[in-house]
Amino acid sequence: MIRHHHRDTKGIAHHPSDALLLAYAAGGADEAVSLIVATHMAYCESCRARASQLEALGGSLLQDLPPAPMSGDALQSVLTRLDAIQPVERRVRPASRDGTPQVLRDYIGGDLSEVRWRQVGPNLSYVPLFRRGPVTARLLRGVAGAETGAHRHAGEEYTLVLKGGFSDVTGSYAPGDLQVMEGDMRHNPVADRSEDCINLAVTTGPLKFESLVHKIVAPLFGF
Amino acid sequence: MTPDAGELNALLGRVAQERDRAAFASLFGHFAPRVKAYLLRMGAAPALAEDLAQEALLSLWRKAHLFDPAKASAATWLFTIARNLRIDAIRREKRPELDPDDFLPQPEAAADDGLALADEENRLRAALKDLPLDQIQVVELSFFADKPHSEIAKELGIPLGTVKSRLRLAMARLKRVLGEAE
Repeated sequence: MIRHHHRDTKGIAHHPSDALLLAYAAGGADEAVSLIVATHMAYCESCRARASQLEALGGSLLQDLPPAPMSGDALQSVLTRLDAIQPVERRVRPASRDGTPQVLRDYIGGDLSEVRWRQVGPNLSYVPLFRRGPVTARLLRGVAGAETGAHRHAGEEYTLVLKGGFSDVTGSYAPGDLQVMEGDMRHNPVADRSEDCINLAVTTGPLKFESLVHKIVAPLFGF
Repeated sequence: MTPDAGELNALLGRVAQERDRAAFASLFGHFAPRVKAYLLRMGAAPALAEDLAQEALLSLWRKAHLFDPAKASAATWLFTIARNLRIDAIRREKRPELDPDDFLPQPEAAADDGLALADEENRLRAALKDLPLDQIQVVELSFFADKPHSEIAKELGIPLGTVKSRLRLAMARLKRVLGEAE
């Protein structure tokens, strides 16, 4: 099977921080942030290994917790339920045709090449994935070589490159790279010239665009 | 007597291969009260913590054949089951999980990896206890507070940057411990 989305681990320059991976492993990160970390790990073997070590830390902490006694008949009642339980099969999901990571396919409902883009400006289109309170997960596509609009953030913005690439004041990003922008940092990402740049983006607050057109248009689309 | 990591793996193997109910009862005796304690620490009400701890052990019975001792210790595996049950039941969110097909081809695990992992777990536990108290605190809160790091910072009355730097120091220390034996 060809896995288009896999890059040599050495090719990935931008990884989640220890604190972010820990929040993912501990289960404290919300669903959207967990999705973007898990999708990064589909590209990044070293972060998978780090996340496993952090889960092992969770296992160690669990071992050392002072036990809380179960009710007196708990074991008996669980034992009587065992016979009715069938072992689960490992979930086999249909293979991606274009190398979209499975964890992301679950949220897109198919492959990246099958999504229906909605235009939000001359150079930017998007696909909403889900929203929980102020936290939003979307796919974004910037036209090759174009600016997507200078903006600041009310919260944090997580961007994972899936296809193409982009650059801004913080550096250059290629497939598998994860960018984390803290609240109130300003940037003006420009998509690489070679092809359209497709990202998975998670924001924890509204974006604050600087141009008038973006200011008017963005809120209409829930940005 | 508390079973060690190797014994827990062996018990889990007997559940997977022989559907051994006595082995299951031992695992229940060890893990159910710890999973319950974990859920109580995360703020679950006692009745819910009891129910979910039972659910976690039923999950173990349902999935024991999927447990791979080369990838994780029994305690780590149980931790991930309890964590996901909590996210599902209490936070009512899904847990995005990597699919095995998302993995790069990996070298076959060596036959003694289960033992190496059990040893790794023992070293991790020892190293955790050796961390400075302020670092232990942020690591524990990361696992048990169900709060973002910014909230943890507020609660401790320290800047977010300090929470992150303590975590970074703790992680560096634990990585050294794990790295040393390789």
